[in-house]
Amino acid sequence: MAVPITSDLQENISQFEALFSDCADIKKRKVKVGQNLKKECYIAYIEVSVSSMEWKDSAVGKILQTLRELPEDRLASYVAQNVEDISDSQPFATIEDAAQGMLTGDVLFFLEGYDKALKIPDKGYPGRGVYETESEKVIRGSNEGFSESIKLNTALIRKRLRSPHVKVKESFAGKRTHTNVDLVYMKDLIHPGMLEEIEKRLGEFEIDGALDSGIIEQLTEQRTYSPFPQFQTTQRPDRAAMAILEGRIVLLSDNSPVALILPATYNTFIQTSDDYYSRWEIASFTRMLRYLASFLAMTFPGLYLSMTNFHTQILPTDLLLSLAAARQGVPFPAVVEIILMEVAFELLREAGVRLPGANGNTIGIVGGLIIGQAAVDANIVSPIVVIVVALTALCSFAVPNEEFATAFRILKFLFIFLCGYLGFFGFLVGTLGILIHLSHLESFGIPYLSPFVGADLNGYRDERDTFLRLPLGFLRKRPIYTREGARTRLKFKQQDKGKS
Amino acid sequence: MFADNWKISLRQVRRLLILDLFGLSSLMLPGILSSLTGADGLFSLGLGAAGGWVFLWLIQKNLQNAEGDYYHYMKDTAGQIAGDAFMVFYYLYFVTLCGFVLYQVTTLVLTWLLPEGSYFWVSILLLLLAAYGTVRGIEGRARVYEIIFWFLGIPLLLMLFLALREIRTDYWYPLMYSGGGDFSRGTVAVWVFFLPLTAVLFLKPFCRKPEGLAGCGRWALGVAAALNGVIYLILLGVFGRNTLGVLKRPVITLMSMINLPGGFFTRQDVIMTSVWFLALFALMHTGVFQSTLILKELFHETGNRCSMWISLVLAFITGMGFFGNTFLMEVYEIYQKWIVLPGMTGILLILLLAFRIRQSGMKKEGMEREENRE
Repeated sequence: MAVPITSDLQENISQFEALFSDCADIKKRKVKVGQNLKKECYIAYIEVSVSSMEWKDSAVGKILQTLRELPEDRLASYVAQNVEDISDSQPFATIEDAAQGMLTGDVLFFLEGYDKALKIPDKGYPGRGVYETESEKVIRGSNEGFSESIKLNTALIRKRLRSPHVKVKESFAGKRTHTNVDLVYMKDLIHPGMLEEIEKRLGEFEIDGALDSGIIEQLTEQRTYSPFPQFQTTQRPDRAAMAILEGRIVLLSDNSPVALILPATYNTFIQTSDDYYSRWEIASFTRMLRYLASFLAMTFPGLYLSMTNFHTQILPTDLLLSLAAARQGVPFPAVVEIILMEVAFELLREAGVRLPGANGNTIGIVGGLIIGQAAVDANIVSPIVVIVVALTALCSFAVPNEEFATAFRILKFLFIFLCGYLGFFGFLVGTLGILIHLSHLESFGIPYLSPFVGADLNGYRDERDTFLRLPLGFLRKRPIYTREGARTRLKFKQQDKGKS
Repeated sequence: MFADNWKISLRQVRRLLILDLFGLSSLMLPGILSSLTGADGLFSLGLGAAGGWVFLWLIQKNLQNAEGDYYHYMKDTAGQIAGDAFMVFYYLYFVTLCGFVLYQVTTLVLTWLLPEGSYFWVSILLLLLAAYGTVRGIEGRARVYEIIFWFLGIPLLLMLFLALREIRTDYWYPLMYSGGGDFSRGTVAVWVFFLPLTAVLFLKPFCRKPEGLAGCGRWALGVAAALNGVIYLILLGVFGRNTLGVLKRPVITLMSMINLPGGFFTRQDVIMTSVWFLALFALMHTGVFQSTLILKELFHETGNRCSMWISLVLAFITGMGFFGNTFLMEVYEIYQKWIVLPGMTGILLILLLAFRIRQSGMKKEGMEREENRE
């Protein structure tokens, strides 16, 4: 049961200290206030989250200074009338709520004769600040990345979208971690049903700790067993801002530099920020490359197996002979060869990720050059298999979203198995199976394969931003995610401009 | 949810129907037409397509009369017993069609893609895939074929274009040479291959704009007939009447003969088999889906998937029956020509007639009531 805060400071202190007994990191102080220093106040904070209590400069310091200049009988009324209203300060009526307030990294303030506790903002928990993104690199455009602080992340989005229509809805996840979760959206663009849906899903679970947005993602997605992610992830504030401008919702979680964007489709995973910053020709070309890469990342080793093991008649004789010559002396069947190399590659990748920066790079060189060459020299694998595996890896790296690329990496093994045993028929069965799966997969009511399917819902306009990214002048309407009636995003003041 | 995507669009219907009509007809018709009518096959094709057009007109008239779905329209118009009997007739058509196409697609796989494979296991795998597609309803199915449509269409058109240089135009003659009996048999065969248009009748509750369904059917019929015409002319021009008549799947044989510029791929038959594999799978999937739907209506099934499994088992048994059994193939041909074609057309005519009678009866009743009131 929640303990109410009373006007009796001693009572409040004893309740608060009982709650935070054996917490050496929590600093608690009693300070005398009033003209005659006859009244007491009590402040509590987490050691590193407050700026070394530089009283003069901090908000709490200034408040204490003012309170020392006021007569004792006016202190409570002054705090109630003036301090409660200062930026980000928040009054609490119970000890438990006050404790939660302090745990967000701010200072908690109790005053004798005042029946509330106040949270007074300070510098908060230590964080990394704004750094360059490590993934989703772009050639053109901002390189700012999200950090672990949710406040900083919302500010980075707000910096790009200076509109009062941008709303930030706060909620909490994790019974013990009490993690801030913010839903950032453009009020006049989102479909109301979408906001209700994500709020409903967020309220459907209770977990002890939500330490990263990945936990929230897994608990709120509908098809848990699908290898394809149903939320788009990004570490780039400009990507998040772009999504908000399309009427999508960005979900930020405290302590996570990865934002979730909903709804997500196959097409949105293939798009990158600089698709819109670069000219349409190069943007379209690279996008087509990425589509091809996503397909080959999953099917290339399988196709190689079906061509060399089952349907050799497809290939010209010279090529076939050189393939056969390359395989001479290799003791394993081609399927085993491919699986060996793919597993070795995945191991190298995993080792490269886990090792610190410079060592990670070394692993790449050791794995790629030395082990690959040694395996070929020892006749364990043929050089062509090394090429196939390397090309497949390149394709998976060309997919801009790591989570999305992972789906293809996993499905690649299914294709190896199917094509290894059934040849091109296995490839067709696998492709059809995945197409059927993707065709009924939805992310918040939007078909995953949209706008390749159901494009009629938005007058076939969304197809202008798929394989090809048409010139910006043609992309006058927002995609299907936006509510109807708010889909115009570009208008030319002079007629016919942008068409030529 | 909010994207209003639980109903299929007319583009999806159009593409689905084109694949349904194109796959089996382009694979089998050239051989049949060539042996029956030779160069006159093109006229048979045209007349057969006209038959399909008439059939579609009957479908359109009935769809216009139906207020709800087709099953309830049949019951309301012809009575409960006749309605159920018609549904059983349709069920048998779709389930046997599914079995027949299963046989065709499995044979295609075993001939061109997996010569050492097992008929039994390939059939099972294909049916399981169809079951997976059916479980998620028509939207998923329609989306699959909406996506793959151009992936199949573009290579096919390209290959047909490349095949033009192999044609010997003297093989297109003599014209008007075949006998009346053979010509009419060829025409009926073409008509039979366009009967999957029946699926249009059952699509009304699933379509976002049901008033455009007949138009989609016409579009699909036109495209399928045109493609068949082009393929027939090319095949006839490349192989000649006699060879074409004995080839089992001449269009795929043709694909193996076309040389791509650049010469990276020496033979394209394996890759191009995927066009027919996917088109046949689409038709088989239609068979499974429609028969499941009909059985569900007949047994008022809501939750479980008994209807689907029953249909799949029956299709599997039918498909297994066709394997190496020429007698059953002949029976199926007779069933299609002498029972299904007249039966389907008859049902549509009966329903139109019954609807007219019912309407005039209601008009009469209304007038009498008004007279009594006066």
